[in-house]
Amino acid sequence: MKSQHATANSGAPSSVANTVVVDHLSKVFNAGKPSEVRALADIELAIEPGEFISLIGPSGCGKSTLLRLIANLIEPSEGSIMVNGKSAAQARVDQDYGMAFQQAGLFDWRSVQKNIELPLELKGWDKARRADRAQEMLELVKLPEFARYMPWQLSGGMQQRVAIARALAAHPQLLLMDEPFGALDEMTREHMQAELLQICNVTETTVVFVTHSIPEAVYLSDRVVVMSPRPGRITDIIDVDLGRNRDDDTREDDRFYASITSVREALRRVDDGTTSVRPRGGVDDR
Amino acid sequence: MSALTSTPASDGDHASDTSDTSDAIRRAVAVVWPPLAFGLAFVLLWEAVVKGFDLKPYFLPAPSSVLDAFFDNLDNVWSATRVSGTNAFVGLLAGAILGVALSFALMRFDVLNQLVSPLAVALNAIPIIVIVALFSSMYPSTSEIPRRLMVTIIVNFIVLVNVSKGLRQVSRTHLELLRSLAASPSDVLRKARIPNAIPYFFTSLKIAAPTAVITAFVSEYFGGRQHGLGYFIPSNFANSKTAIAWAYVVGACLLGLAFYLISILMEYITQHNRGPAPGGA
Repeated sequence: MKSQHATANSGAPSSVANTVVVDHLSKVFNAGKPSEVRALADIELAIEPGEFISLIGPSGCGKSTLLRLIANLIEPSEGSIMVNGKSAAQARVDQDYGMAFQQAGLFDWRSVQKNIELPLELKGWDKARRADRAQEMLELVKLPEFARYMPWQLSGGMQQRVAIARALAAHPQLLLMDEPFGALDEMTREHMQAELLQICNVTETTVVFVTHSIPEAVYLSDRVVVMSPRPGRITDIIDVDLGRNRDDDTREDDRFYASITSVREALRRVDDGTTSVRPRGGVDDR
Repeated sequence: MSALTSTPASDGDHASDTSDTSDAIRRAVAVVWPPLAFGLAFVLLWEAVVKGFDLKPYFLPAPSSVLDAFFDNLDNVWSATRVSGTNAFVGLLAGAILGVALSFALMRFDVLNQLVSPLAVALNAIPIIVIVALFSSMYPSTSEIPRRLMVTIIVNFIVLVNVSKGLRQVSRTHLELLRSLAASPSDVLRKARIPNAIPYFFTSLKIAAPTAVITAFVSEYFGGRQHGLGYFIPSNFANSKTAIAWAYVVGACLLGLAFYLISILMEYITQHNRGPAPGGA
């Protein structure tokens, strides 16, 4: 448990050094209504540049909500989020991060290349520069010959690779991923995980990755953030000591299994309700 | 997909294009011949029944005598078809333009949406005949405007409902993605909403085109100048000129079919590279 590291009281120096700093963050949906839900309570998290962080937990633990707050798709009820030393809202406007979702979310009416160019179009890049970058990204995700295909001509895994290429097209330092491989079959999934790690090593991108697969979280991450539901909290942060160069052999490594076991035990403590989280005053424990 | 995996070379998409086209033709033929054969068999059976049971021509004419009447009155049928076709087409065009314009306005101004939407539904609930009678009383009896207005209203409603849906029902992932990219509302409109609404627009035209033809017939039946199919079909039936009435019916069928085919063709030209489930994601 090293969640208290770099809490930093939102001090300026450390929030510049870290890619993401989440400080005392809470989120309440439908505040004041009967349907009020306390989705996240008192989240503290600091993510260093180049780190790969996974958010894992049972459904309803607010891991996707936390990701959406970092992306500034929704606003926090309390607390603050800094991305690249700016407010999350400013970071969104500056396109400091790219995002990939469970559904590839490609636009059916755009070719693969045009899909990848979308973030660049919105940035006002000219056509030639966009095309160059799209080709570069297609080579990065190993689909160089598919520029002119339409999304529906691609398999699910290929579509997700295009979505990753789109998320990285503007060369953001931060990649936010919401269960991007959740809809893929197991073999494709493992393949995509290896590719993602390779892409991140090449591009030195910081990644926040939401998943509910323990092996996926362990294989990909430097740190696995374990969350508990109602209200969503961080109960554990588990360091994964597998080095930077991971491949298929990593999946058979003893340290891989050891990390899986620690994450599983942390999640089981969440289920048992025997977590060490101290109750806060006024928390509605529904 | 098989074309895709077997030709991973740089020209792969050309190869899959051509094989897709010949595949499409083969599939189209396979789809077309059974109903065609069935239709032919039905007409032959009809002919046999009329001849075999010696049915009187005022009760049910044989297809052969309908065909004779059709070619004997070709000029008359053609001119009536042209009148009805023009009414339907003008109304279709005006209704489609109005429907698209309104759905954009409703999308842009929510207040307008709350005002107009219930009104549009209420308007659609009024029986069509009432409105035709109302319009006819407003214009001289030789005017085509009441009929065209009628078609415009019906088409407008169909287009409005569908295009509004297309503009609004954008996938959540697309909206979140565009928000994450700090897209402006006009970017969202241009990059997601309008392209998403295009298949809905063509679907609405596909529904509206035959409806426009039917509306034109019905409007012509209820008063006004007597030179469209909507007048000649019932008047010939009323005068027991059944074969001639059927000849006009053939003209009506061909007109409806032509409208439908044109709308399908337009949809195909604009949509064929979108994949099996346009508008979804």
